[in-house]
Amino acid sequence: MPTVIVAHFKTNIYEYLEALQKSTLDKLYEEPATCLAIFRLLPSLARQLVMSLLFSTQIMSKADLKQWIKNDKESLSYEALDKLQKLHIMIEQENKTIALNSSFKQKFQECLTGGGTHQSFGKLYNKPHRHSQSNSHKLPDIKLLDEHAKTKWEEILHFMVGTDRMNSPGASVLKVVTKANLMREKEGKGLEITNKGFQFLLQDVNTQVWAFLIQYLDLASEMLHMNVVEVLNFFFMLGSLELGQDYSVEGLTDTQRQLLDDLTNYGLIYRPKKSSKRYYPTRLATTLTSGNSAIVSNVASNNPTDDDDSATEQGFIIVETNYKLYAYTSSQLQISVLNLFCNLQFQFSNMVTAELTRESVRKALKHGITASQIISYLTSHAHPQMKKRPALLPSTVVDQIQLWEMELNRLVITNSYLYKEFRTFADYEVVLKHANTLGVVVWSSDSKKMIGITEAGHERVKAFIKRKIVQRRSNGGDTTSSAGGTPAR
Amino acid sequence: MVKAVKGTIVKCDPAVKQVIISLDKKEKVIIEDLDENHLLIDTSRVDYIKKEVEKLLEENTYKSELDKAPN
Repeated sequence: MPTVIVAHFKTNIYEYLEALQKSTLDKLYEEPATCLAIFRLLPSLARQLVMSLLFSTQIMSKADLKQWIKNDKESLSYEALDKLQKLHIMIEQENKTIALNSSFKQKFQECLTGGGTHQSFGKLYNKPHRHSQSNSHKLPDIKLLDEHAKTKWEEILHFMVGTDRMNSPGASVLKVVTKANLMREKEGKGLEITNKGFQFLLQDVNTQVWAFLIQYLDLASEMLHMNVVEVLNFFFMLGSLELGQDYSVEGLTDTQRQLLDDLTNYGLIYRPKKSSKRYYPTRLATTLTSGNSAIVSNVASNNPTDDDDSATEQGFIIVETNYKLYAYTSSQLQISVLNLFCNLQFQFSNMVTAELTRESVRKALKHGITASQIISYLTSHAHPQMKKRPALLPSTVVDQIQLWEMELNRLVITNSYLYKEFRTFADYEVVLKHANTLGVVVWSSDSKKMIGITEAGHERVKAFIKRKIVQRRSNGGDTTSSAGGTPAR
Repeated sequence: MVKAVKGTIVKCDPAVKQVIISLDKKEKVIIEDLDENHLLIDTSRVDYIKKEVEKLLEENTYKSELDKAPN
C-alpha cells in the first residue's frame, strides 16, 4: 500500500516573490509594468495603503498608519502590512516611520501618471502590416489567438494525461514537466505522470499557468542561466498587454527573445512566423495578473461559442447520492481528468455519464491524488443546479471518498529496532527521554518497558546506552544494576 | 540486559491486527505483540503481509453486481 505523499506544490507567484532576496526585488521594481502587476496581486487593504502613501511626501509613523485601519479588521491589517513588508514595498525604519520602497514609489507613480518611457508595457508594432493589403496574410483575430492558446496548452495537459491522439510537445515543455516532477522517466521508455502531476491537472488554468511559469523560472535560472529579474519582468509585462494587439520584438533583450520562443510553445504568445517581428499575447498571458479565471472555460471547452462558455464557466458536473456523475462537457481533456477518478460509462455529444466506484477512486488514490483533491475538484466544477442544494456535494459521496482514502492507509509501517528488557524502570525512562529529544521514538510502552526506535535513530540510541554503561561502571563499579550490556545485533 | 531487536513496527487498527495474527498462525511473522494497535513484525515479510491483508480485506468488501457487469 503506497503512502500518500502530499507534496507541497508551489503554485502561488506571491510565495515565489516573497522568497526572493531584497536586492532582486529592488531590481524588479525598476520596471513600471512589474510594479503594477505586483500591486494587482496584493490584497485590497494593502493596495489601499500603497495608494494612500504613494503620492504623500510626509513622513508617516507606523502608529498613524494603523489609525487609518478600522479596529475590527485586526487580522486583515496585520496581513496587509506583513505582505507589504515581506515584498519590501513598505519599509519600516528605525524611528518607527513607514516609507514606500523608493524605486517602487517612483516607478509606480510613473506608471500611473504616464511619465517615463513605456517600453515596460510592451512596444506596439507601429509599422503598417506589409501584407495587410493583400489577402495572403490576415491579422490574427482574438478567436485565432484563443484557438492557439487552447491547442498549445491542451497539448501539454493532454500529454500529461496521456491521451493517445497526442503528439509530444516541445523539448522545453518536457524539461519543465520533468524538472517540476510533474512527470518522471518510466523504466524502459517514455514519461509517466507523478502524483504532483495529478494534483496539477486538478487545478484551474490560471493556477496551472502560474505553476508552470514558476517551474520554468527555476529552470531558467538554474539551467539556462537566465536572469530571474528579466524573466519575471517579462511575465509581468505580458500580464499588462492587450489581447488582440500586436507588439514588436524590438527592444527585447536576448533572454526575452528566447523566452518568447518558449512561451509560444506554451500558448501564452502567438507569432505568425518564428522569424516574425511581431508577437501577440493570448488570453493565457493577459489574464496572468488580472485574477480573471474566464480562461478556464475558454481553454477547456472544445467549441468556444458563447453559450458553452457561460455553462462551463459555472461548472458542469452533477453528482448524485448514488455515486453517479453527469458531466456536461465535450472536452476530451476534461473527460480525461474525470477518468482519473471515475468510471466512465457513456458519452453523448454534450455530456458523459460516469460513476464513482471504490475501484476508480482507489486507482486515483494509489496514484497519489488525495481524497480532498477529488472533492475540491468536484466542488469547484459543480453544475449551477448543484448550488441550489444546501450542501454542494452529497455528503454520502464526500464521506465515502474519504473513507476509501482511510481504508488504503490501514497499515502504517516503520522499520525499527525494539529495545526491551531494561533492568529497571529508571533505565527505561532515561533512554526514552533521550530518544524523545532525538525524535526517533516510534512507539513506547511504560508497562512493558519497551521502546521502538526508528532505523535512523538506532545508532545514536545505541551509542547513548553504551555511554551510560561506561559512566556507571566508572562511577561505582556497580555492574549489577547497570542498564546493561551491548544491544544485541 | 537491554536488547535491541530489529524489525518493523506496524501500526494498524485492531481488525487488521487480528488478520495479521491469523496469518502468523500459518507462518511465523510476528516477533512481538506490542499493544492493540502495534505489532513488531519480520521486516522481510512486510510485503507478504501487505498483500495478504489487502487480499483478505478485499474479499470482505461488498461489490455490487452492477460493477462487475461489463459496461
